[in-house]
Amino acid sequence: MSNVAMYEELEAGINVMLMGDGTLWQPSEKQPGAQSDVREMLAIAVELRRMPRADFRTRLATELTWQAAGRPISPKRTFARKETAVLPAVLGHLIPSERRSMFPSQGRSMAASVALHAMLAFIALLSFVTYRATRIVPLPITNSIELAAYKPAPGITAPSGGGGGGDASKTPASTGSEPRFTDEQITPPVIVLPNQHAKLTVEPTVVAPEMNLPRSAQNGDPLSKLMIASNGVGVRGGIGSGEGGGIGSGNGNGIGFGNGGWVGGGIFHVGNGVTAPRAIFSPEPEYSDEARKAKFQGIVALWAVVGPDGKPKDLSVARSLGMGLDEKALEAVKTWKFQPGMKDGHPVAVQISIEVNFHLY
Amino acid sequence: MSVVANNITDERLLIEAAQQDPSRFAVLYENNFHRVYAYVARRVQDRGEVEDITAEVFHTALANLGRFQWRGVPFAAWLLRIAANALADRWKNDRKGGNTQALSDDAWPEIEPGTDADVERHAMLFQLVERLPQDQQLVVQRRFVEQKSVREIADELGRTEGAIKQLQFRALETLRKEFMTGS
Repeated sequence: MSNVAMYEELEAGINVMLMGDGTLWQPSEKQPGAQSDVREMLAIAVELRRMPRADFRTRLATELTWQAAGRPISPKRTFARKETAVLPAVLGHLIPSERRSMFPSQGRSMAASVALHAMLAFIALLSFVTYRATRIVPLPITNSIELAAYKPAPGITAPSGGGGGGDASKTPASTGSEPRFTDEQITPPVIVLPNQHAKLTVEPTVVAPEMNLPRSAQNGDPLSKLMIASNGVGVRGGIGSGEGGGIGSGNGNGIGFGNGGWVGGGIFHVGNGVTAPRAIFSPEPEYSDEARKAKFQGIVALWAVVGPDGKPKDLSVARSLGMGLDEKALEAVKTWKFQPGMKDGHPVAVQISIEVNFHLY
Repeated sequence: MSVVANNITDERLLIEAAQQDPSRFAVLYENNFHRVYAYVARRVQDRGEVEDITAEVFHTALANLGRFQWRGVPFAAWLLRIAANALADRWKNDRKGGNTQALSDDAWPEIEPGTDADVERHAMLFQLVERLPQDQQLVVQRRFVEQKSVREIADELGRTEGAIKQLQFRALETLRKEFMTGS
């Protein structure tokens, strides 16, 4: 038997296997793959259907690395993609009669399916028009699994803190460092003292988890560059543009964006009211010469934090391909621009994973 | 015999190192990933469920590694015990929720780990796939895991259907030979 005939024989057997019930299927003399070698290969093909997805192992390894580093993983994380009865219902007439009652055929669903497929076929046809000899397809964004990268620990899974204030000055708050962090605030930090001759002084603090941070003697907004002494345009004490006795643009006696004390404005993850950033400018990465010569293909997975300004930062390689493609992927994604992720109507920093797909066409 | 002894000693050292420094758990994970996945996949049909339970096993193992005591039993046996418990919990929850289809019919009562040579065979097969050339791996993933047709794969990779069939054949042929040799 020629090689081509064996390829076809094997393919026919695989088709029977994939269309069959699966677990009950065993190659036999009645199947197309009757030849001994082909039959053995089909037996292996049956087992291969239970193989793990290519990206699952890496994703889980990354999660474990973060868990080992003492960073929490959300209990809501799930890899499961629940099957729905939509497709079987659409194709109800193709299901064996004994199982048909579970998935009755739905004419309307069938019509919707046909329309959808026609649309997809049209899109596929369009893609042929823009065909190029060598093409690299960057897959923009996949949803982030629960990983944390924000250094102040309490803000990792649910940054909810924040604070701000000021004394309704005309100028924004001036620069300086945060005061000491405590569980309870007695007096808020200020830059311009309302009373220069107070008889009883209390150390100003903000409500945030205790952290060892380098601090200067001058309190102020660490994100500000203004040198003129000002408590900021906010109200009700504190420093910044927010409201309350904290520092920053939030409300409360904590630090940063958000409400109700503690540290806000950290790195968020998609979900729980946080929308995913969307790539609005994503030039394709170049192929490295080495990979092109070797006709090497695959996917580089990157971690990135998309800041409120829509620029990616803190890029790192989550799954490496080698042959210079990791560097090319990093180089390209650095130039990407995003519509930032939003929370409560404000742009926030969101961690995402980006898959850059290198394929030679 | 000495190789086996060395392997056991190595594993014990790896466990002790991971108990001291959890970041060393990565090696234990890599050594046992396919084994645990294969064990769970034999008992659960839905791929998402398999991935969830496998992840749960390793997260639990890492969280409880400090309590692991070396008694000369391979680390895999401990992982499979955790997997068995996770499957039992999942099964009970599904029963309570009225979902009796989540686990395959042959999942119970055969839950006792340690005697499952089939798990080792599957784990070895999955490892062999990782040694295939990149393009053959890609075809195996697309064809058998994602169950795409040859035409779809050909379109995706920009090759002819004949080339995809050839890659598929070569991949399975290599796996057959190595699998038979390994077995």
